[in-house]
Parts: sequence; C-alpha cells; structure tokens
Amino acid sequence: MDYQAMLGLTLPLGLGIAAIGSGLGLGRAVGSAMEAIGRQPEASGKIQVAMIIGAALIEALTIYALVTVFLLQGKIGGQ
Amino acid sequence: MPRFFVHGLVCCAALLTGVAPYAAGASAAGEGEQHELPNFITLLGQLLAGTSAGEFLHRWENVIFSLLVAGFIILVVRLASRNPQLQPGKLQNFIELIIEELEKFIVGILGPRGRKYVPFLGTLFLYILCMNYFGLIPLMKAPTANINQTLALSLCVFIYVQYAGLRENGVLGYVDHLMGQPRTAMQWALVWLMVPIHIIGELAKPVSLACRLFGNITGEDILIFIFVGLGVAITSFTHVPVGVPLQVPFYFLALLTGFIQALVFMLLSTIYFAMMLPHEDEGHH
Repeated sequence: MDYQAMLGLTLPLGLGIAAIGSGLGLGRAVGSAMEAIGRQPEASGKIQVAMIIGAALIEALTIYALVTVFLLQGKIGGQ
Repeated sequence: MPRFFVHGLVCCAALLTGVAPYAAGASAAGEGEQHELPNFITLLGQLLAGTSAGEFLHRWENVIFSLLVAGFIILVVRLASRNPQLQPGKLQNFIELIIEELEKFIVGILGPRGRKYVPFLGTLFLYILCMNYFGLIPLMKAPTANINQTLALSLCVFIYVQYAGLRENGVLGYVDHLMGQPRTAMQWALVWLMVPIHIIGELAKPVSLACRLFGNITGEDILIFIFVGLGVAITSFTHVPVGVPLQVPFYFLALLTGFIQALVFMLLSTIYFAMMLPHEDEGHH
C-alpha cells in the first residue's frame, strides 16, 4: 500500500472519528444548556453565550481534523 | 406580495450568474487545485493569463478582496456618520443599533473597564462578518477562506492581548499571570510547570482562532462549490452553461455559519482579554 492509498483511506476515517467525538460532546453541551434554559428561561441569554463558547471550542477539534485533511489532500492523486 | 416576487427573481438571477462563470471557469481552470467558485479576480486573471498583471491578480486576490470589504465598511459607516442627526435616518439608526448592541455585549463580558476595547473587538466582528458574507455574493470571494487572512487577524488579537496584559498588569503582574498567580507554597513549587503551560496556551490561542475560522469558511465554500458542480453536471447534456441551483439550501447554512463564526471569533477574543486583564471581581463571570 503506497502512501497515497493510505492517505485516501485514513483522511476521511480520521475526520469521521473526530466528528463522532465532537458530536458526542456537542450533544452533551447543547442538551445540558437546553435543560438549563428550560429550568431557568430568564437566564437564557447568559446560558446561550456560554454554550456558544463551549460549542465553538468543541467544534474546533473537528475543524483541526478538517484542516489536516485540507493540508494533506493535495498529496493524493498527484500524477 | 409583488415586492417579494421581485426579490425572488433578483435572487434567482444572482444565483444563475453565480453558476455561469463556473461553467466558463471549469474548462479554463485546469492548472492547480480549485475548490472555490471563480470570482471576478480569477476571471480577469484568466483573461490576462501570462502577463504580469494576471500574475499580480492571482497572487494578490485575497488582499484585493479584503481591501474591498474594508472599503465597503468604511463607505457605509462614513455615509451613516457623515452628517449625524439628532433624529437619526434609516442608515444612521441601523449602524447605531449595531454599535450599541456590540458595546452592550462586550461590556457585559469585560465589565465597564473593557469599554476601550469595544472599537477593536466590534470592528473585528463587523469585518469578519462582512468578509464571510462577501463569499456568498456571486463573483466575490470570502477572504477568510484563506489561512493567511485569518492568521493575520488572530495575530492582531494576540499582540493586542499581550500588549493590554503588559499595560494593565505591569511587567511584574504579567509575569505573575504567566506563573499562574502563585500564592501558596504548593503553587510556588509548581511554577516551573505552570510557566511553559501558560506560554504554550497563549501561543495556541491565535492558531486555534485562525484554524477555526479558516476551516469553517473553507469547508462551507467547498460544500457550495461541490453542489454547484453537481447542479451543472446534471444539465451537462444540454451544453448550456447554466445548471440547477442545487447550492441554494447551503447558502442559508453559510449565512448561519458566517454569522456564528464571526461572533465566536469576537467572543473568544473578548474572553482572552478578560483572562489577561486583572480581575478584581473574582468569581463573577
């Protein structure tokens, strides 16, 4: 197996695994935030801001995997 | 009702003009990797291919677009604030609304002493928002879909945060912050561990800011590009350079991510300021 085939196999796999992880994390974060808003609707503004920060930090991990894919996909299929 | 209809027609025409240059550009592209819709700079560059002007346009594409966005913002704000009225007109009212909301938002996080950072952070938000949305206009490009642009923005934030930390805390306070504010003997014993962690943390912030914005906007551009390609491929048997606008739903997604990413960039920059500035009200976040 040459390195191009390896990259072609592992880049989507790695991105998928990263997406699973951040999906689980986002589910927990947003679910808890929704619960908190349901319990205290008057604090929804503050909770939403905190939730967006947390969601951005979690989502960044998948984006790093995506950036890696962008960086390495140029190496696939060259000639 | 007829007004809505006209808006729809204009939108459809805009989308179709977004598709047509793709069909023209796809055949001519060939060289290099292309994962964005062609914009008017690339089209001009192809017209002038081989000459130094074409080379210049190709190389300075993102800079030209970011300057265009900056010029657009300057123009709009200038028009709004050129002749301020006590009873504001539509544009002045709109700009004042945006600025007041931004100020309320940032002061809500940083507290009243953060008011002097509102111009920088608010401009950051407006600039990034306009750059993200510029990519949705046919024949335009989002400059934030390039890592150099986002890295430049996040380096600005990094330098300003360090400068503000040095200025507000003083040199000793800054070093104290880097040591994790040791107060007990146990914390002093762990200083050798905390200093590298804090330095790496400070250096990782701009990189993560830049990668987040770049990855999101590029991913969204590639998504739209692929669906435009799909729409053109569906009607390729007709040999007419128009396609089915399959990318339309993703424009709405792009509107959402463009706004959220601009907000997140500003919000995280504000948080970095809040972490660096001296906190006298510990525990009230």
